[in-house]
Amino acid sequence: MKRREFLQLSATVAGAAMTIYLPGESALSRAAAKWKIGFSQATTLEPWRVQFNKDIQTEAKSHPEVNLIITDGQDKTEKQVADCENLIVQQVDALLISPKESAGLTGVVEKAIDAKIPVIVLDRNVNTKRITQFIGGDNVVIGRAAGEHAVKLLGGPGNAKGNVVEIWGGMGTQPAHDRHEGFHAFTDKEPGIKYLLNNQSGDWKQDQAYNIMTTALRNNEKIDLVYGHNDPMAYGAYLAAKDADRDKDIRFFIGIDGLPDEGVTWVHKGLLAATFLYATPGAEGLRQAVKLLNGEKIPPAITLPTMLITKDNATEILKKNGLL
Amino acid sequence: MTRFLRMLAHTKLYWGLLVICLIGALASPHTSTGRNIFLSYANLTDVLRQVSITGLVATGMTIVILLGGIDLSVGSVVGFSTIICAMLLTKAGWTTASAVGLPAAVFVTFAAIACLTRFVLHGIARGRDVTGGARREIRLSPWQRLGFPALLGLSAAAFTGWFAWSELPTKFGLLGVLLITPCVALLLGAVNGLLIVTGRLQPFIVTLAMMVSALGIGRLTAGQDNAVIAVYTGTNATEAFEVLRSMLWGLVPVPSAFFLAAIVIFGAILRFTTFGRYIYAIGGNAEVAKLSGIKVAQVQFTAYMLSGLLAGIAGVLFVAQYRQGKPDAGAGLELDAIAAVVIGGTSLMGGRGGLVGTFVGVLIFGLLSDILQLQNIDSNVQLVMKGLIIVCTVLMQEQSFGQLVARWRLPTAKRASQTGGGRTRSPAERLECATYNGGSR
Repeated sequence: MKRREFLQLSATVAGAAMTIYLPGESALSRAAAKWKIGFSQATTLEPWRVQFNKDIQTEAKSHPEVNLIITDGQDKTEKQVADCENLIVQQVDALLISPKESAGLTGVVEKAIDAKIPVIVLDRNVNTKRITQFIGGDNVVIGRAAGEHAVKLLGGPGNAKGNVVEIWGGMGTQPAHDRHEGFHAFTDKEPGIKYLLNNQSGDWKQDQAYNIMTTALRNNEKIDLVYGHNDPMAYGAYLAAKDADRDKDIRFFIGIDGLPDEGVTWVHKGLLAATFLYATPGAEGLRQAVKLLNGEKIPPAITLPTMLITKDNATEILKKNGLL
Repeated sequence: MTRFLRMLAHTKLYWGLLVICLIGALASPHTSTGRNIFLSYANLTDVLRQVSITGLVATGMTIVILLGGIDLSVGSVVGFSTIICAMLLTKAGWTTASAVGLPAAVFVTFAAIACLTRFVLHGIARGRDVTGGARREIRLSPWQRLGFPALLGLSAAAFTGWFAWSELPTKFGLLGVLLITPCVALLLGAVNGLLIVTGRLQPFIVTLAMMVSALGIGRLTAGQDNAVIAVYTGTNATEAFEVLRSMLWGLVPVPSAFFLAAIVIFGAILRFTTFGRYIYAIGGNAEVAKLSGIKVAQVQFTAYMLSGLLAGIAGVLFVAQYRQGKPDAGAGLELDAIAAVVIGGTSLMGGRGGLVGTFVGVLIFGLLSDILQLQNIDSNVQLVMKGLIIVCTVLMQEQSFGQLVARWRLPTAKRASQTGGGRTRSPAERLECATYNGGSR
């Protein structure tokens, strides 16, 4: 086969194969929309981000006057900067951004502000004071809630006792450090609590937490509580314990994030003892943007509250999300 | 003494493994009953299980690297395979996964059976050849060359199609995913091979492109709303799937059995078959191999296909072990695999090395992270230690101790030879010669 023939053939075959992935419904732009709002998402590869997008889309359905444009930064700073520049050129009425990182996206946010576009920053802040609003959860607060609950589970303040395994998220990420500090603010006061692992990072991943837990189970005969910096890691640790037939010995697995199809489902099944909601700012962000565009005044910062999710309220949350 | 040193230099990789085991055993914590945790059977099988996914990928990588190529796409292909596998297990009817997987399985079984039949017929004809030994072209009749293989291939494809069709309305079972997922991954490997062979492009570029696009294809297949597909055996997937993470006869974890089987099978292929020897020949010098009549393109194409196939099997095992399929499941796996291959003494230039080395390399990596984990060492320190180990082992591999010693002694040796005239070689120099003559593997 000649090289050119081959290239032609392969282009045809590739084109034919890709038709499987053609979207079933083409997105119709809403002609009646009064406001054009751009939302630059950092990545859609993590379940939390997927939930984030779902939340903002659901909220957008109840605002027929809004035409929402969502872009995906594909976990790359350059891509997200380009996305934002694109949205600025499209002259959106408001820009929502959930930055991949603070430093890399500060410049483009300032560019948008210079172009007289109000910017609402979600989840992770940028290094400028000129933004219209910041909305996010507070990981230290969530970590403290988890620590307080852990102390309660292990016997209450003053006489809590037990061996604790803590599985870190990514070592280089701020949320992991915040969730660690918040947790220890409570548990460090208890002399009966012993920590078994020394800064072991599961990088937010279920499979890495599984492997850390496998070895931790060999190394320690008595583990009372496992604290994962997110739900998939707590669940991964649970799976490792289950495969080693020790899931009954370990009394509590607790995680953070509380996504309906992950943490809440596992709490509902009784695999995790508790999880703490790290709410996505999607819905709130869009509501605030609409308020702003309608001429109302909005506060410079909103901190989203957390919520303890246990077996008692898991069913209700699942029903609300249509998963039960 | 010299013979002993030479033997030591030849087998230094295994001594490395032994030293690591020794360190592990000595440093290991003990249980309350005083038993050594590192040496316990359960811990060792844990290690064997943890390395089996990287190991399978590294097996395919070894073949490709021996050819003088590289396959950067395996990590993404593993991720894509986990998506296909998890979707087939949890979703009934026509989904993107079954729409991709079913035709792929039918096509691959047809091609595989047809090629195999023709290969066997060719072998039989060669066996009957009366001029045995003399090199001459074996002629097959058109029926043997095309008709019979095509017929058998078609019937195998029909069987696969029927089997997959019957599983489609319900969710796919263990056999279904074990058949379809590797076939899809094999096709991705075939695309790599085809582009490299026919498009005459650099393997590095082609597989880099595949690494990026397989991630994208995986995400498209999963759909925008599913970053992770959870597999709960017993509720949303068949319980039979749990076999893939159980212990085989209570002795070996099933994933490790897959890994060991791959090492044995492909080790035998590399050592004892013509195809295997061709791989070494091409890796050594592709031009010479081509001029001496080896069908270089065919061999290269097959090697990339095999790499894809093994990545596909690794993907199925990932889903079984961690109960989830996600596009980025194998992120970084290609680099782990390359590291294991290089630690095992296979040259990145191709033509030198083998699967036994890779097996030991994978084990060294696995045992090391187990030891660090048992010692409860900080995750960041673990990364640094792993980097150090890679550099140290490769240094040991490439420049044998004998060479280093010889170099240190060179000034003194020179002076001695100038004064001593026709002196015999020193043991260190002799060792150096031995290692230059293909001793260092």
